[in-house]
Amino acid sequence: MGLGNLVMGDEGLGVAFARAMEKEDLPEYVTVMDGGTGGFHLMGHLEAHPKVILVDATMDGGVPGTIRLIRPRFSSDFPKAISTHDIGLKDLIEGMLILGKMPDIYLFVVTIETIQPLYVGLTPEIEAVIPKVIQEVKQLITQLMSE
Amino acid sequence: MSQRIVIDPITRIEGHLRVEAEIKDGKVAQAYSSGTMVRLLEEILKGRDPRDAWAFVGRVCGVCTSVHSLASVRSVEDALDIVIPPNAELVRNIMFCTQYMHDHVVHFYHLHALDWVDIVSALSADPKKTSEIAQSISNYPKSSPGYFSDLIARLKKFVDSGQLGIFANGYWGHPAYKLPPEINLIGVAHYLEALEWQKEVVKIHTIFGGKNPHPNYLVGGMACSIGLDESSVINAERLAYVSDLLHQAKTFIEQVYIPDLLAIAPYYLDWASIGGGLGNYLSYGDLPTNGYRDPLSYKFPAGAILNKDISKVYEVDLRNDAEVQEFVTHSWYDYAEGNEKGLHPWKGESKINYTGPKPPYEYLDVEQKYSYLKTPRWKGHAMEVGPLSRMLVGYAKGIPEYKDIVDKTLAKLGAPITALFSTLGRTAARGLESVLVAQWALEFYDQLIANIRNGDSRMANTEKFNPDRWEKQAQGVGHSEAPRGALAHWIVIEDKKIKNYQLVVPTTWNASPRDFEGKMSAYESSLMDNTPVANPDQPVEILRTIHSFDPCLACSVHLYDEEGKHLSRVKVL
Repeated sequence: MGLGNLVMGDEGLGVAFARAMEKEDLPEYVTVMDGGTGGFHLMGHLEAHPKVILVDATMDGGVPGTIRLIRPRFSSDFPKAISTHDIGLKDLIEGMLILGKMPDIYLFVVTIETIQPLYVGLTPEIEAVIPKVIQEVKQLITQLMSE
Repeated sequence: MSQRIVIDPITRIEGHLRVEAEIKDGKVAQAYSSGTMVRLLEEILKGRDPRDAWAFVGRVCGVCTSVHSLASVRSVEDALDIVIPPNAELVRNIMFCTQYMHDHVVHFYHLHALDWVDIVSALSADPKKTSEIAQSISNYPKSSPGYFSDLIARLKKFVDSGQLGIFANGYWGHPAYKLPPEINLIGVAHYLEALEWQKEVVKIHTIFGGKNPHPNYLVGGMACSIGLDESSVINAERLAYVSDLLHQAKTFIEQVYIPDLLAIAPYYLDWASIGGGLGNYLSYGDLPTNGYRDPLSYKFPAGAILNKDISKVYEVDLRNDAEVQEFVTHSWYDYAEGNEKGLHPWKGESKINYTGPKPPYEYLDVEQKYSYLKTPRWKGHAMEVGPLSRMLVGYAKGIPEYKDIVDKTLAKLGAPITALFSTLGRTAARGLESVLVAQWALEFYDQLIANIRNGDSRMANTEKFNPDRWEKQAQGVGHSEAPRGALAHWIVIEDKKIKNYQLVVPTTWNASPRDFEGKMSAYESSLMDNTPVANPDQPVEILRTIHSFDPCLACSVHLYDEEGKHLSRVKVL
């Protein structure tokens, strides 16, 4: 599931990932989803899958394009840029955690330099990272299924 | 708290509301409400096919999803004189009710409850006592001592893990929190139950509208075909599922939402004389039972009330260019003929001219233009829109089901009718109309089933779908009652394309800046009506009043001390 806002430039890389990933040849037990800025609306989808791989942008001050895999347990483990709205993904994660309904989450974060408000599209350097993210996600899928 | 969040419109969900308030002697003395983000769907729509407009405007908001699409298809149908089949009206009504039930419950538990419910206090509740209280106020089955002790254990485990999470989001321990730990625990339990439930009820939108958020609409009807015994359309199985979901929703509202509202309200009756504000209430009406063209058939009646006088309801005519007008005296727009005159939306303009300070800035210049929201007025009056307006108009018109539920609730709380003109009244009205809507949804469902049984499966009128059959020029207005209040879209069609399109949305009525005469709109006026602020660093009281409107914008609040000096900058949660 790619997360992000398409009209905020590089912030939309998760969505760009999901769109590219959909074109890949994937096992049938894998669902690709554009989570966008769905917030609460994503709960059903998260609950319906035992393992969820998320892809999102982060402004962590690192080198743009850096890919990291983290295993978030709490909402504070998510990138700061993740939904700052009242009822966003963070509240959902907290709620599901307390309810004991959190799936196993793997989160790929990609460092971006800045958000470009009201801009559709990625900068070339972030665009170039997408194939690499796809490759890493596919590797993780293979690894998870062999466990 | 993050300065970036305060200043820049970078949240992922649309809309930014900024409130600047001055505190004097522990009360709000001055308040300014500003929308700091542009939408401007109006400009995007110009020159497009009117039949596509619903798909664009639906994206105005992911929370208020579907209501803009509804207003849009109605505006086009109004302009082109298209009457939709009864089934399409019923499906629209069922989706409308679904949206209400989802939105009101999510608002109450996830956006508003934590202004009243202290989560940290819930940890010290006695499960047995909580269970007794829960069972005394509702038949909802999840109410055993074991259920509540299990919840406390989960919450403690969460807190012990060193995470604050939702526990960090509020002003816990603030003296304005008045509930005993047991009622706080019930509130937390149902915050979580509501989280689970909300994902179910919206499936109704996916059944009739193909997806959610942003379900599909159609000019002329609805894009869903029905065949009881067919496999690839909405069949008997799908309809039975809708029935289940509607019944679950009614149960949740009657057994969870309303008992909680009535259990919490008695501790906050002082809020029945705080935050009233304008005293002018406006409803466009909605939920037709005999077609959109017959306003007298609406479940939500249309009308206006002035100066809290419920002995008189004024008629509202959205076509009359002297009634609804938008002003830009304090808004970052320029009108071609000058900024002093108001424009009726059919002649409306949306030319932006930002003259505010260059961000990042500390304060807005409220003497000049200070918002991207225009200022709508009805016959020159500032009007409040939303659940309270709808309930008051229905009550003032003497409609039995409104009288009945309002009078019973007031009697239960031992409160007079004037208690409704307040922050608490607004929050209570939202709950009460949820009860009515949950009942109506089942009525609409039963009618739909009866129609289908009688062999009527028509879902769209496509006679005028082909633009060759349109007049060269046409104009229409599509109105609705969004969960947050009166909503209308005005459209002008010329040569098969959109020539002009204006949305006047509920939050524009409520959150707009002052008008040409300096008259305040609903947010500003309600904040200045007796709203206390015990601790300017923790302005939970301001949140209560603003949240009682169900603002559809992420908020940031700036506060000043008596000298107007900047005190703190607080992100509203």
